[in-house]
This record gives sequence, structure tokens and C-alpha cells, in this order.
Amino acid sequence: MDYLAQLLLIGLGAGLIHNFVLYYFVGLCPFMGVSKKIDMALGMGLAVTFVIAIASTLSWGLTYYVLRPGAFLSSWALSLITGQAGEVDLTVLAYLVYIFSIASSVQFVEMYLRKYFPPLYKSFGIYLPLITTNCAILFACLEIMKNVVGVDTAAVWGLDKALVLSVGGGLGFTLAIVIMAGIREELELADTPKSMQGAPIAFIVAGILALAFMGFAGIDTSLGKLMLGGS
Amino acid sequence: MAQSDGPTPLERFINGILPENPVYRQMLGLCPTLAVTAAMKPAMTMAAAVLFVLVCANIMVSLIRHLLQPHLRILVFTLTIAVFVTIADRVLAAYVYGMSKALGPYVPLIIVNCIIIARCEICASKQGVLPAIGDAVGQSFGNAVALASVATVREILGKGTWFDLPVMPLTSGDYGWSLMILPPGAFLTLGLLLGLNVHIQTVQARRKREAEKAASTALATSA
Amino acid sequence: MAEEKDPKLEAPLAPAAEAGEKVRLPVVVPTAQLTKRPTGNVLGQAWLVLVLATVFGAGLAGVEYALGPIIAQNRLNETLAQVPSLVPGATQGTADDAVIEGRRVFRALDADGKLVGWVVPGKGQGFADKIELVVGLDAKAETITGLFVLDQKETPALGDNITRADFRGQFVGFGTGVPLDAKRAPRDPGTGTIQALTGATISSDAVCTIVNQTVAAVKAPLAAAASPVAVN
Repeated sequence: MDYLAQLLLIGLGAGLIHNFVLYYFVGLCPFMGVSKKIDMALGMGLAVTFVIAIASTLSWGLTYYVLRPGAFLSSWALSLITGQAGEVDLTVLAYLVYIFSIASSVQFVEMYLRKYFPPLYKSFGIYLPLITTNCAILFACLEIMKNVVGVDTAAVWGLDKALVLSVGGGLGFTLAIVIMAGIREELELADTPKSMQGAPIAFIVAGILALAFMGFAGIDTSLGKLMLGGS
Repeated sequence: MAQSDGPTPLERFINGILPENPVYRQMLGLCPTLAVTAAMKPAMTMAAAVLFVLVCANIMVSLIRHLLQPHLRILVFTLTIAVFVTIADRVLAAYVYGMSKALGPYVPLIIVNCIIIARCEICASKQGVLPAIGDAVGQSFGNAVALASVATVREILGKGTWFDLPVMPLTSGDYGWSLMILPPGAFLTLGLLLGLNVHIQTVQARRKREAEKAASTALATSA
Repeated sequence: MAEEKDPKLEAPLAPAAEAGEKVRLPVVVPTAQLTKRPTGNVLGQAWLVLVLATVFGAGLAGVEYALGPIIAQNRLNETLAQVPSLVPGATQGTADDAVIEGRRVFRALDADGKLVGWVVPGKGQGFADKIELVVGLDAKAETITGLFVLDQKETPALGDNITRADFRGQFVGFGTGVPLDAKRAPRDPGTGTIQALTGATISSDAVCTIVNQTVAAVKAPLAAAASPVAVN
């Protein structure tokens, strides 16, 4: 029960309370660029969710088994090379590893979809190359790293939490971009001042959305207290 | 790829600041523009980090531009940028730890800041080292100007300070307009500033048109 | 920051036709460049990447070697700098080798190097984001002697008042036996009542919860550790 509650809190936190776009400002370019039509926005959002889940699985694995100080594989390699047991801290390579794992997972997803799910590829394959430089995905990897490297041994995140964070974040992104697209479709009909048309008014709308999402703040604290018994 | 074809270093430099301002005119690098602009200090630290990464990456790419394989060049750009971002991140953590903590994930996120990869592609991979440096410095200054404009509005209205110096007692302490420091304030400020920017551009264009019109009619009447 | 090659925020770009061309991002290789076919085998094509990777790897190793210790020290200093203000009589702190339930504990020492208290870090969910703080305890871990908030992102002017000295000062003198609770009532050490901040009940409560968890985790081991150590 506690376990499920923790996962729920992580997912809620990433999706609603600390929404990637509206709280952390990551993934703004697709948020602004591909939010003209609801169906395109939905496609983009789902593509991001899909890639974010794969990339974070990959980067969690690399962080947990290779990069963090005392990780299993790097220690093993050290003992193989020098014949002594010891810890290797490869966290300095983390950013490099993440960006390449993102790029390769995007490539992989693209090839896989094209081969096995052509209709799916048609519907959101066009967004895939753009996602490589989507900072939401790197951000998810960094958030996961923050909970794997340099924290108490007991608090190191497993793959389950990492996945919940990334999928929650991806769904939160989808939610935000779909709402935004819905508003912008209506906005076409509105009489916007000439200088505010396009991007400026979109930012104002995003500001109001962010204000609305601020209303979620604190529910995780209270919910956590309720579910985890106030400790 | 003739070197003489491209703009000179000075042109590149001047272009970057306003005519091709990365944030206001090209809409690149929006994520840090919103995320680190609650106050001037982190905003300027961010601008300095971008300057460092952009200059180093541009020099590096410009030096190896003749060796680049077309289909591998994005890979090389990303590799270069990621390395310099890591260096910037480490240096910040070692010498300005407080700032490094305040900027948090936004320093590594410079890797996917499209200002840098765009400049590598547009300028550094086509021109020599000098124009590339001019371009990098100009674009970074443009980025800094944009960050500073948003941060100035947000810090003064939100906290009544500028670079932590008290400038507006009306909004200081408990009377601060906290919304400005919070995420919505970032969106609202940037939206309004972008609108202002578009407005200025249209007014300038109209003035120019009118001046040209007046000049041509004056020419016609005198002839 | 993500970027697209296809139509994006077109409105402000409309007047700048020359910039429009430049916004296009290098996601797709321009056909003109593709006419130059890749030559050679895999190594012939990728040698530059491999050489660069090696050079950069060496560079990063150098940077890490030079700066790694400074960064690690910075992380410790963040807490060590607070030791004198958290434990009365302490002039310096040292990181204890012992890690209790994953927490790195700091010893507060007086001028003679005698143990006068402990400084323990704690972390937990606040209203807006994680709150990181350090708690000062006396040598037997019976009383709270100080509290300092290292990192928080609570609402400006409301929740972020948890960093204010008058709020933190409330905690000083509370026994570690009674769990703390933030209430809309005056401070009372007997019942563990902390007066919550106006408009920031959840933030105040979160601080109390983190302090409770921290104290509960380290109380017994510290009290046990204090007796033999105090002799030395």
C-alpha cells in the first residue's frame, strides 16, 4: 500500500503538480509549435510519452549499473582491469550518455514503428525526429539521475519509480499540450490585438494555464500524509 | 563553403544582438528564458554559461568543419556541445556552488538548447574561426539581453530588487508580486515582451515605409 | 530546448523573412549536401567521432580530476558553514564517517575539539517542492538546538517564510521525545506545538514532519555514539 502510494505521488507530482511544461518550462518548443490542432497535439504528446518512457528506462539502467559511484558494471570492469575492488565514479559522463541514449532510442522507436506499426508510424512518426532535441526527455533523465546518484542508499530509485516519473511527466505534457491546442483553436476566432497575435498571446494563455495548474500544488503533501499515515 | 561568402565577424556579432536576437526574433532557447529569469543573478549566470558553451562549440566545429561527414555532423555537434556543457556545469559547481544549485537541471539542459546547435549548423560549420567567434559572442549577447529583459521585469515586480539591490520599495519584502517569481509570471512577462517587440517592429517598418514614400514623392515633385 | 524544422511560432517571424530561413533546424540533411556520398568503410567515416570522443573523454577526466574534490568539498561546506549557528558552543564541524540510515551526520565540535552536538540533514516534500534542511542536536540528541533550511522552493512571501529566523527559532529547545506538530496555536514545547506560519500551514507542517523523521532516524544511534566519543 505504501509502495503504491509512493508511486502514485511520484506520478501525480510529475504529471500535474510539477507539470513539465507549466512548472519546469521544459518541452516548450513543441508546446508552442505543435499546439495548433488538437489531433496533432495529441500525437505529439503521445510520441513524447512513448520516447520518454524508453529513454528513461535506458538512462536509468545506465546510471544505475554503470555511471553512479560504486555501480555494478563499472566496479566489475575496474576489478577486471586493475585486479582490485574499488568504486568508479563516472557521473561526469552522465550528460553525454543521456543525450546519446535519447538520440538512439528515438532512432530505434522510429525504425521499430515503421517496420511493425505503419499506421502508428504515420500518425506520430513525423514528430519523432523532433523529439531528440526535446528538453522534456533530457529533463526526465536528469530528474531520475538526481534520485539515483548521490542520495541515501535506501532512497535510490528503482526502475519502477523512474518509469512512473517519466510516464507521468509525459502524460502531463500531453495533457498540457492538448488543453493548449483546444484553447488555441478557439483563439483563432478571437479578436486579438495585432501585435499580440501568434506567439505572444500563446504565452499569455500558457501563463494562465500555469496559474491554473498551480492549484494542484500541495495536494501531494496532503495526500501523502493521508495515505502514508502522517509520518 | 567559401569563406568570403559569409558575413564578416563584425556583422555576425551585430546581427546576433538585435536583428537576429535568438529569443525575440528566432524564438530559440525559450526554456531557460522562462526558467531562470526569476532574478537577475541566475539569469546572468545562465547567460555566461551559454556564452562559454556557444563560443567553445563554435570554435571547435569551425576548426573541424572540413572533416565533417554530412550525415554524422549532428552527432559531432551534440558530442561537442555535451562535453562543453559538462565542463561548464562542473566549473559552476566548483566555483559558484550556490548559483549552480539554483540553476539546477537547467545547466545540463543547455545541451538541447537549440540556439547552440542552430549556430553550429548555420555559421560555425560553414565559416572560419573568426566569424564563428563573432557569431557566438553576438548570439550569446542577444540571449543575455533577452534573459536580462525578462529577469529585470520579474525581479523588480516580484521582489522589488535588481541584482539583489533594493530598487523598488513598493514591491519589496512581503509586498512583492509573488506571481511574477512563480512560473505563470514567466509566461506572462515573456508573452507581453514578445508582443511589445512585434509592436516595435511593425511601427519601425511603417515609419520606414512612410519615410521612403515621402522621399520618393519629394524626389518626384522636385523633378 | 526543443526546436522544429516545420512551421512553428510564425507570427513574430513573419516580418523577418531573412530570419525565417535561419530558424530551420538541422534535423534533415539538405539534399545538396547528400550528393557528397559518404566514402570509405565505417572506420573511414567515423574516425573523427572516435578521435573526438577520445580527446573529449580525456578532457573530461582532467576536469573531473581537478574540480571533483572542490565540488565535493562545496557540498560538505554548505552544511559545515551552518554548524556554529546550529549548535551553541560549536566552532567547527566535521563530517562523521558513520552514515545513519543513509544520512551523513556531522559532528559539532567546540574549540577544544570536544563533541558538543550533532548536525543532521533531512529532506522531504514541502508544499511546492522538496525541502532540504539541517537540524542541530545537542550531544545526547535530546534537544533540538537549531534548524536551517538549505533549499526550498515554497511560495514566495508565504511558504518561503520557513527560512526566516523567527520561524526556525521556534524549534530551538524542543525535546526530541515529543513529535512536533504545526498548529494554529502558540508555540508550546510541552506538546510539541509549533506555531504555523500564516498562509503557509502546509509548508510549516512539512518542516515539522521532516524534522520528526530526521530526529526519529538518528536519535538512538547518536545518543549511543555520544557516550564513548565524548570521552576521547
